[in-house]
Amino acid sequence: MHLNKNRVFDIIVYIISFLFFTTLILLLSGIFFQTSLHLFLKELKDAGLWRSVLLSFKLSFIVILVNLIIGIPVAYILSFKKSKISFLLDIISTLPLTTSPLVIGFAVLITMGALNPIGKFFIDRGIKFVFTPQGIVLVQLIISFPFFVNIVKTSFDSINRKMIDLSKTLGASSFDILFKIIIPLAYNGIIAGLAMSWSRSIGEYAATQMVSGVIPGITETAPIEVFVKTSYGNYPAAIAISGILMIISLFSLGIFKYFNYKTGIQSSNG
Amino acid sequence: MKLLEIKNLRKSFSDKKVLDGVNLEIEKGEISSIFGFSGEGKSTVLKIICGILKQDGGEVFIKEKIINDTESYKRRTPLVMDEPLLFPNMNVIENIEFALKLNKNRKNHEYAKKSEDRANKFYSPQEIMELLGITGLEKRYPHEISMGQAQRVSLARALMVNPDIILMDEPFSNLDIISKVKVRKLIKDINKELNVSILLVTHDIEDVMNLSDKMFILNEGKIQDSGCPKDVLKKPSSIDTAFLIGTENILEGVISETRLSDNLMKIKVQVNGESESESVNNKQLHNELKLNDYAKINHCKENNYSNNDYCENNYNIINSEIVIEADFNTNFETGERIYLAVRPEDIMILREDRSMSAGVKENRFTGKIVSSIFTSRMMEIIVESKENLKFKILIPFHAYEVMNLYEGKTVNISLKKSSIHLIKKKNNFKK
Repeated sequence: MHLNKNRVFDIIVYIISFLFFTTLILLLSGIFFQTSLHLFLKELKDAGLWRSVLLSFKLSFIVILVNLIIGIPVAYILSFKKSKISFLLDIISTLPLTTSPLVIGFAVLITMGALNPIGKFFIDRGIKFVFTPQGIVLVQLIISFPFFVNIVKTSFDSINRKMIDLSKTLGASSFDILFKIIIPLAYNGIIAGLAMSWSRSIGEYAATQMVSGVIPGITETAPIEVFVKTSYGNYPAAIAISGILMIISLFSLGIFKYFNYKTGIQSSNG
Repeated sequence: MKLLEIKNLRKSFSDKKVLDGVNLEIEKGEISSIFGFSGEGKSTVLKIICGILKQDGGEVFIKEKIINDTESYKRRTPLVMDEPLLFPNMNVIENIEFALKLNKNRKNHEYAKKSEDRANKFYSPQEIMELLGITGLEKRYPHEISMGQAQRVSLARALMVNPDIILMDEPFSNLDIISKVKVRKLIKDINKELNVSILLVTHDIEDVMNLSDKMFILNEGKIQDSGCPKDVLKKPSSIDTAFLIGTENILEGVISETRLSDNLMKIKVQVNGESESESVNNKQLHNELKLNDYAKINHCKENNYSNNDYCENNYNIINSEIVIEADFNTNFETGERIYLAVRPEDIMILREDRSMSAGVKENRFTGKIVSSIFTSRMMEIIVESKENLKFKILIPFHAYEVMNLYEGKTVNISLKKSSIHLIKKKNNFKK
């Protein structure tokens, strides 16, 4: 009997993917089997839970807003002004992606502390980054920024450079080019980048915890609440928040995949 | 007033010198073209004029104002490239109105609307679209229209800038032959109707001949030759230009006699298998290869092959000298080494059944037709003379039939004195 190698290949690939997929689903959905629906619903009525979720929303919204304002110019430089300096900028802005979030949180904690000249500078002017919501915004910004910039840069990269050059000769200044051509053409990429960085920032725990100080209602974000509830042994509450966080991730991932897919189609159409 | 003037333009990319002192001048309302092979820096010249690239040295003037440091978006020198490059996020009318929606141009156009000056007359997008025959496409998106239409939209978009000059970089190279002819005509029309100046860059001599009032030949970083395309083509001023534009029937010789009174110059042409004229022939072949014209290559190969046969069988002339007569020309003197060229359509094949007129007595040769090919328009005939000279001749097909010509037939040909074009031989002639 002849062995069909291609079929064997397909079987191996599918089996590995399937095993991974089911394991992941079981792991993630496991938390829902630890509680009863009644308890789960009861915990959802808890005001503290929603306070933390709302805080997470508020802070992550500010984070993606700042991402948008800083990220587009940075992505512009990385994509359209390629040079040795932009290469360095690329590395620096992507560094948080590969650094432990805990280290980043720790670095911010130290730098923004009263003993550091930079921290002192801000504290003297009444701006505190340690144990404050501002501090959380700062670390989440550092951590989610690379996601946004890289996705936007990729969609900027797919824009035809000859077209950009040509638009200059039609009288378009750099402002016109950015607002009338680049941003409309990179729209899908920007939305995808926002969804990704939003989801990263809303689920951020380690770095946030470092600078948050866990002050209920002020710096206690949803992921921190999960940790706090777990350490008190209040599993149903932790499960409720985890469930909400997971739904949020699923939702934002859906947005990301949808727009990223659209970008892919667009660029393959020319 | 000169519209565009370029002085001593220089540009290198890494170590490669692309432009090495380009000078050119363009008058208002003209269509000019820069002709040259690919990679000779033609597009670079355009990119420098419109400000996308910065030159290493030299000046660019528009309306006698230096624009070296003017930002691209302030120049009013729109570019039309080989691809339409329409903005995919806008429909046709939005694309055309792109320039109008920019602040700077809006002011320009309001001024143009008010002024009665014909040169600054404002054309609405609708008028331009009608002129270019793209009315009705307003709401379509770039991916929904054909290449030819897209190229016209791209032209309309450039016209809305209210341009000083439109720069076109090989605008026809992606179009099929029918669209090409259409767009060529449109360009001529808008040039006439709107009095817009156009600078065209092309590697296709057909584009040059069909469109331009003036041509510049760019070769090895310099403008080699310029002027009315017909003159340049018929009478290239240097041997390099002659090779570039594909001049045929080039011979090498020495002026042996000049007589002003008889309006006569005699040129001794050495016919030698190993002589320099052979190298000219080779360069000509090489040149044709560069033109990437497969028909011609095949043609030459066949031709060479049949030639060899022909030489061995019929003639044993290795060294001989013939004399060709030309009109008197004050630029040349006795003893000077020169090239001479005759255009293929200027060589006459003599009819056997008619008595000779005065003209056909000049420079007569007898030879055998070694090949005849029907190109899309004319019969292309190669005649090899007894003296081992090859001449390419173009005649209409009906003449070929009427004269009952065929390959292998022996014919008499005549090179009219007035059609002999002399080219100075430069000392630094490169092989």
